[in-house]
Amino acid sequence: MSQLPRPDTAELRAKYPGVFDRPASARLAMPTMIAAAFAIFVYGLVDLDFSPTKLISGMSQLGWIAMLMIPPNPGTSFPLYMQALGETLSIALLGTTLAALLALPVSLLAARNIIPSNLIRFPVRRFLDSIRGVDTLIWALVWINVVGLGPFAGVLAIMVSDFGAFGKLFSEAIEAADRKQVEGIRASGGNALHEIRFGLLPQVLPVIAGQVLYFIESNTRSATIIGIVGAGGIGLQLAEQIRVLEWQKVSFLILMILIAVAAIDFISSKLRFAIIGQRAVV
Amino acid sequence: MLVVEGLTCRFGTKAAVDNASFSIAPGSFVGVIGRSGAGKSTLLRMINRLADPTSGRILFEGTDVTALRGKELRQWRARSAMIFQQFNLVGRLDVLTNVLMGRLAQIPSWRSLAQVWPEQDRALALSALDQFDIAQLAAQRADQLSGGQQQRVAIARALVQEPDIILADEPIASLDPRNTKIVMDALLRINKHFGITVLCNLHSLDLARTYCDRLIGMAAGRVVFDGAPAALTDQIARELYDLEANDVMGGAPMPAPDGTTVPALGTAAAA
Amino acid sequence: MARPFLSTQLRTGLQAPMATAVSILPAQQLATLEGAYRKSVARKRSKAALATAAFCAVLVIAAFGAEVNLRTLFTYFGNFVSYFDRILTLDSGARVWTDPAEWFWGWHKWLKMLGETILISYVGTLTGAVLAFSLNFFAAQNTSPGPWVRFTVRRLLEFARTVPGIVFALIFVIAFGLGPMAGVLAIAIHTTGALGKLFAEIVENADMKPVEGIRSTGASWLSCMRFAVLPQVSAGYASYALLRFEINVREASVMGFVGAGGIGQELVVAIRKFYYSDVSAILITIIVTVFIIDISTGWLRGRLFGKETRR
Repeated sequence: MSQLPRPDTAELRAKYPGVFDRPASARLAMPTMIAAAFAIFVYGLVDLDFSPTKLISGMSQLGWIAMLMIPPNPGTSFPLYMQALGETLSIALLGTTLAALLALPVSLLAARNIIPSNLIRFPVRRFLDSIRGVDTLIWALVWINVVGLGPFAGVLAIMVSDFGAFGKLFSEAIEAADRKQVEGIRASGGNALHEIRFGLLPQVLPVIAGQVLYFIESNTRSATIIGIVGAGGIGLQLAEQIRVLEWQKVSFLILMILIAVAAIDFISSKLRFAIIGQRAVV
Repeated sequence: MLVVEGLTCRFGTKAAVDNASFSIAPGSFVGVIGRSGAGKSTLLRMINRLADPTSGRILFEGTDVTALRGKELRQWRARSAMIFQQFNLVGRLDVLTNVLMGRLAQIPSWRSLAQVWPEQDRALALSALDQFDIAQLAAQRADQLSGGQQQRVAIARALVQEPDIILADEPIASLDPRNTKIVMDALLRINKHFGITVLCNLHSLDLARTYCDRLIGMAAGRVVFDGAPAALTDQIARELYDLEANDVMGGAPMPAPDGTTVPALGTAAAA
Repeated sequence: MARPFLSTQLRTGLQAPMATAVSILPAQQLATLEGAYRKSVARKRSKAALATAAFCAVLVIAAFGAEVNLRTLFTYFGNFVSYFDRILTLDSGARVWTDPAEWFWGWHKWLKMLGETILISYVGTLTGAVLAFSLNFFAAQNTSPGPWVRFTVRRLLEFARTVPGIVFALIFVIAFGLGPMAGVLAIAIHTTGALGKLFAEIVENADMKPVEGIRSTGASWLSCMRFAVLPQVSAGYASYALLRFEINVREASVMGFVGAGGIGQELVVAIRKFYYSDVSAILITIIVTVFIIDISTGWLRGRLFGKETRR
């Protein structure tokens, strides 16, 4: 049994002052932050006109609506809804694919290991960020002004807003790629194109494919709502039925969306596994 | 003849390689030894031009390698084939394509980018793989191979570059003893049979003494020893490796604690 | 190494004589190796080709479904460009940046709406995060009291996550009346669903080895949780919550489209009524705000939890 000698506290205290006496700022930081967060929260409730009476009456209203929703019933519009759902899925698929095709070359320009110069990379990044900062619904409104009402505007809206997101994600995937493999190509005498084609793309493409699939899935969700502003798909029907208070149809449409999203989720996770799991020659 | 003159590489204020000078005759097998962080890796990377020297020159057969640009630089990289500790293969490409990467500097870009490899290059790559008994793995993905197999693929890639000099950066540091022998033997054969110069970073002094005709010892970026393995006395080796000496020299086990040599707690780091 | 090396063989058709350490195999042996390689590569290639063809076919079907019309695109693409031209032009015909005061004439009102947007997302995110925090232990495999509870909570979270926030907002506007309250509740519910799932995943992925380590020093269960689990999960919780806040600011900016408060109301009016320069002014304020929020939450996350948890 060994025993460390009892340390001389005073000496240690002198040597490592920070360990024994944490400054007041460090000890108070957390409680202060929580108090501040709570204060803003309360201010927000007041400013946004929250009132208990409104909340209670709204809740009872909501309960009433929920009762009216059961059972879900499409009435005679089922074929129409199926067509709208197909439109939504098409919008998601096309919009995402087009966005990925556009984003891949641009993402190379935004990746530090391809373009070391800040001069090019920085504007490209900011450009992508600005596109991302605008919600899909806003893009849908803009495109409706350009190509008119209908699903095509939805495709373009999803394409543009995903282009921003993909550009950023792809460039991050490229930056995360293993440098050693690229270096192997360079050391063998490959040029910059070779480094990208043989060193980077084989590593990056499966990651990108996974991201695209994931986005197709999440875009099914986005595509359901762009109909609300008139860009086609099931959202158009949904907004319509909510406006005319046809609650049974509303609940049926929501159910359809849930099932469709679950189905896409299932398919895309299978595909993702297949892509990441195997395939040597890309 | 590879001549290195006053080669220096600084990262910030720290010199990874500090004023290194030596020359290497064609056909020699030179080991670069020293503790980790002594600058061995940076030295080799500078010769292949993966790292740029801060000052100094590298001359190969009279050509100033440090001044090369563009296509000529890539040709030089192909002529000074690099073998890495972590193999640096492209994991998701198949083995044959990885070996064909060694031909990139020789064939037109459109062919390589479209993967239309000349028939004779494919034959060369397959033959190189066959030399290391892994031709049957040609269609496998590189990242599905064991470490030893991957390093053999990497050597095959180096060979199809038809190099004048092979730069091996700790080629066996990630391998088990059996593969260590396979890889070192392969390098030795390439050196002895075909007269290709080998410049090899080694951490293990035992291996360096077994395989190399000449050793260059580095410490803190400087060349502190240059001579035949026999001239490297234990005394010098201890200075080279400092605390790691017992580790790399194989032999002597750690001294048994007998009360006098065991340092007191807390003083080891200061020693 | 089975075979000895053959003598150096100079290959013809290449440059000057060089040291070649590879001896070309006899033609027959090469052909066998080549054949085997081609065969196994061809199998992979045909699979990939098949997958590509199937994907293209689906795309074509989708193109019909979405009424994609390239001619429309080409005809109207000019409109897209000229749209940006128009939103960057003032009523007077001058470029917007020549007269910022005129361009941002409504900045007072817009900033107020923007503040409301941020508050909506703040209150919504915080409410959602608290709800998610209280629900996530029921949803995580290693902490859930029972499979039935877990199943129910998971389905609830899934529902809250899958139904888009704006659909909730549409319904809430009817139940609670027009105004930001509906937006807050919609965002809160959606956030609960999204964060609940992520939080539960963090709990499930928590490393139990530190717990063991702390326990081995003789600590109580509570100390184990405080010093081994909390440090692992709290950073992730806060990081995801901040990330969600960022997303919610974007989401809140469109809540006004359906009358649920925030800057969206102003924007949709400007777009629908063709107040072109207003559109660009509002868009720019939104983009700048999202930037600032992005950067500051990123900074906050880096500050609070070190570099490694950033994204």
